[in-house]
Amino acid sequence: MPINKGPPDRTFEDSLHGDLKTLNFYLPKKRKQLKKLLEEGRPHVMCSDGSTHYFRKKELEYLAGILNNNEHHLLLLPIIIEVGSEHDLLLVRSRTGIEAKIFSSVLGMPVTVKTDMIFIVKPQLAVVRKILKTTTQYAFTI
Amino acid sequence: MTQKVQVTRPTKIELARLKRRMKLATRIQKIVKDRLSILIMEFLQTVRECALHKGKMLADFKEAYKALSMTTGYHGYASLEKELLASEMAFRITSYTRNVAGVRMPVFETEGTDRSPARNTPDTSALTDNSARLARECLKQVIQLAELQNSLELLGTEINKVKRVNNALEYIVIPGLDATIKYLTMKFEERDREEVARLKYVKLLIEQREAYAY
Repeated sequence: MPINKGPPDRTFEDSLHGDLKTLNFYLPKKRKQLKKLLEEGRPHVMCSDGSTHYFRKKELEYLAGILNNNEHHLLLLPIIIEVGSEHDLLLVRSRTGIEAKIFSSVLGMPVTVKTDMIFIVKPQLAVVRKILKTTTQYAFTI
Repeated sequence: MTQKVQVTRPTKIELARLKRRMKLATRIQKIVKDRLSILIMEFLQTVRECALHKGKMLADFKEAYKALSMTTGYHGYASLEKELLASEMAFRITSYTRNVAGVRMPVFETEGTDRSPARNTPDTSALTDNSARLARECLKQVIQLAELQNSLELLGTEINKVKRVNNALEYIVIPGLDATIKYLTMKFEERDREEVARLKYVKLLIEQREAYAY
């Protein structure tokens, strides 16, 4: 049985560590309120990796249409969808419950909400992503 | 497939280290698999949209060419060309980026394609306006299709990369670590058995020595 510990193995391990570190680097540093984004000429947020994530104005207007005027400052964008390896369901954290309103409006059915968390399944995700392409983002959790 | 055992020294510390590495590799593989499934879902969705837009674009072009040939027949080629050269339409394409699971994809937005350009009204007709409107629709579709096809290409490249990492983990790293852990565990068990056998032999020797002493 060949026994060795060569540099390629170490390199691969290092690269895996690097992958894990930079996994969610594309997420925004700070999310913005829908109200602020609607006022911006080119609505965008800065990401942790230094890149810029732009929002489509049509999507923002669509979201503004779902919500009342006094709810615009409660919605933080982009909406983060958590993809965890522990469960098959996808999770959206929502303190205000505004996200639940949006998701149920997009899906055309009520969504499961449990203590500030909205659960959606993968087929529902495809529907959400089809409509909210730039206003939702994925976050991978361990 | 036989797996290469990679171990510098068969010690318990090494075994603990390997188990820790195995845990990390399994965890990363789960995340990589999740990312792959998300990217594939996005890719398939983009493919569907691409096919839809392509069909729409072809239909629009068909309509536009039909309208253009009718306009040409009505006004004459020279007159229409003169009119088209005179009328300018300013429009702007703005390119943005959006992030999908770590892939930076382009977003193209057109501005100014909804307005009809200024034209010499006595020399043109409703047919000219109609063909111009259809041409504008075609332009919009082409831009949308460009965005989708570019996204498709980027997603495909990323899927290939993630797949390679997933395969490396699934078929090389994890089985290799598993084989090494098994090899070390068996080695320690063997050492334990040898130790027991040695103790029994020593015990027997002591008993024999004691028996001879009496």
